[in-house]
Amino acid sequence: MNNRKEKLLGFLFAGIPVLGFLIFGIIPIFMAFGMSFMNIRGFSFEDASWTGFSNYSNLLFGEYAGRFWLSLLNSLIELLALPISLAIALVLSVFLHKKLRGSKFYRVVLFIPYVCSVVAVTTMWKWIYEEEFGILNQILMGLGIDKVGWISDSRFVRWSMLLTCVWSGISLGVILFSAALNNVSESYYEAAQIDGASGIKQFFTITVPAVSPTMFFLVVTGTIGYMQDFVRYQIMLGNSGGPSDSGLTMVFFLWQMAYRYNTQMGMGYACAMAILIAIIIGVATLINYLSAKRWVNYDF
Amino acid sequence: MTSDKSKSRLRRFGRYMKRNIVAYIVLTAAALFILIPFYVIFVTSFKTQLEAIGVPFTFIPREFTLDGYANVLLRDASGGAMGVSTVLLGFYNTFKTVIPMTIVCLFTSSLSAFAFAKLRFPCKKIMFTVLLASMMIPGIVTLMPAYLIYDSLMLTDTYVPLILPTMFGTATCVFFLRQFIMGIPDSLVEAAKMDGLGLFGIYFRIMLPLCLPALFAQGILVFMGGYNDYFGPLIYLWSPEKYTLQISLMYFVGLYDKDYATVMAGCVISMIPLIVLYLCFQKAFVQGIATSGMKL
Repeated sequence: MNNRKEKLLGFLFAGIPVLGFLIFGIIPIFMAFGMSFMNIRGFSFEDASWTGFSNYSNLLFGEYAGRFWLSLLNSLIELLALPISLAIALVLSVFLHKKLRGSKFYRVVLFIPYVCSVVAVTTMWKWIYEEEFGILNQILMGLGIDKVGWISDSRFVRWSMLLTCVWSGISLGVILFSAALNNVSESYYEAAQIDGASGIKQFFTITVPAVSPTMFFLVVTGTIGYMQDFVRYQIMLGNSGGPSDSGLTMVFFLWQMAYRYNTQMGMGYACAMAILIAIIIGVATLINYLSAKRWVNYDF
Repeated sequence: MTSDKSKSRLRRFGRYMKRNIVAYIVLTAAALFILIPFYVIFVTSFKTQLEAIGVPFTFIPREFTLDGYANVLLRDASGGAMGVSTVLLGFYNTFKTVIPMTIVCLFTSSLSAFAFAKLRFPCKKIMFTVLLASMMIPGIVTLMPAYLIYDSLMLTDTYVPLILPTMFGTATCVFFLRQFIMGIPDSLVEAAKMDGLGLFGIYFRIMLPLCLPALFAQGILVFMGGYNDYFGPLIYLWSPEKYTLQISLMYFVGLYDKDYATVMAGCVISMIPLIVLYLCFQKAFVQGIATSGMKL
């Protein structure tokens, strides 16, 4: 086989997913950028017109600013689920790593939420949070406490959603941390034990640095994921965004612009929103990368 | 003699538990946190409509019934399924689309991974970086333009937008398979070349058979992604007869709003296939995911 043929075929083979990304990723991004400066009614360019920066200015400072900043706040609150679930997952992985009797059972159980669809899981939590008959309020009433509007009272909605996010988020952390811990040489721990380091000290000086690359991966991808969450909220709260918009995340707002308020706002606004979300995620990712130098350790 | 033995075994067990008591308490608390919600929906799904909303909540149904499951498996709730149950049709539509998508995705991804791992060609580094960058792009940005494009091509309300992008292969799949193929010795490829095997021959006769475990591990994850997808069908499908599982489940849930037994039966049925798949192939699941926790 000649070399030129290998070069050509190699390029073609490797290029299929790259081509896919160009078609379904790069081109739409440029289009979204252009569309964000347009006023688009309905779902075609027929009556579209250029509006300059007005979509952006209306979102950031104008008539929609209140909802925009609220949606950012809601998404940031949801993002709290990331550190919480990662911390829980790390502690659980350390205990699982002890290879106790029955740890296999715990491992299997902790992983199950990962394979369940967000529709089923959210419907399940919706039933748990149900105001009249849901188990959570029934327990409260059994204890003589007034029932709580978990998903109908704007003071509680964000935290109820946070809890479901943590519940769903633990699985992936457990899997990845467990894999990372398996790669840490036992000799580090043995040396620490000889030096008389306590279990907690070993956790912070060996375990945490050793899993920090995995932690970094989870933080970067998790931030990107949580900042785009919407499905969970739409299923739990319906199309409205919850009481006083307490469940209106950034992508939820975007979806409303494109579909629910298509005649008032439309796809131009949705694209401006998408670009703003991408910028916010970009900044967050940049912060993650810059901070990585301080805490991510590739020496283990 | 035997009682001594059992006593000492008991004592050893006591010491073992004492030493690890914190671990067991924490792990059990976490397991209960995960399992109790599942138990609540599971037990609700076997109740009568009335008992499901009864106060206080019964942890064991007073009256055991399969009414909820009958509604899920027999009712044509959307009216678009020509008498077939909405949820079952959803299963059919999902399998019909997700299985071909998974197979094609594995084919293209592994072909690309093979090239990245074993072949020399121009622009290799740039192409790989572009692929890496694709994981960092927030998918939401592409949603609106993609919708307009599909709409102008009359492809909305079809399965094309849901499966076509994945069919080109996904970055995660390529990375995982590339890692795996790099572990296959070059000498095998060289020997095959000597024997006059072309690149396609090497791919089909050597790489694919050796990659089967890795392909399986990634295939499960791609399948799971398609099976659980809700956002795509929500945006692109509106004919009830085309509803995939998740969207038909959602439709169903909306229809049986206050009939919690039926709603929960629907949830249970929709979750069972993947949970069973996971329990059968735990190792493949875990491997497929664990290696994706790559160093960024």
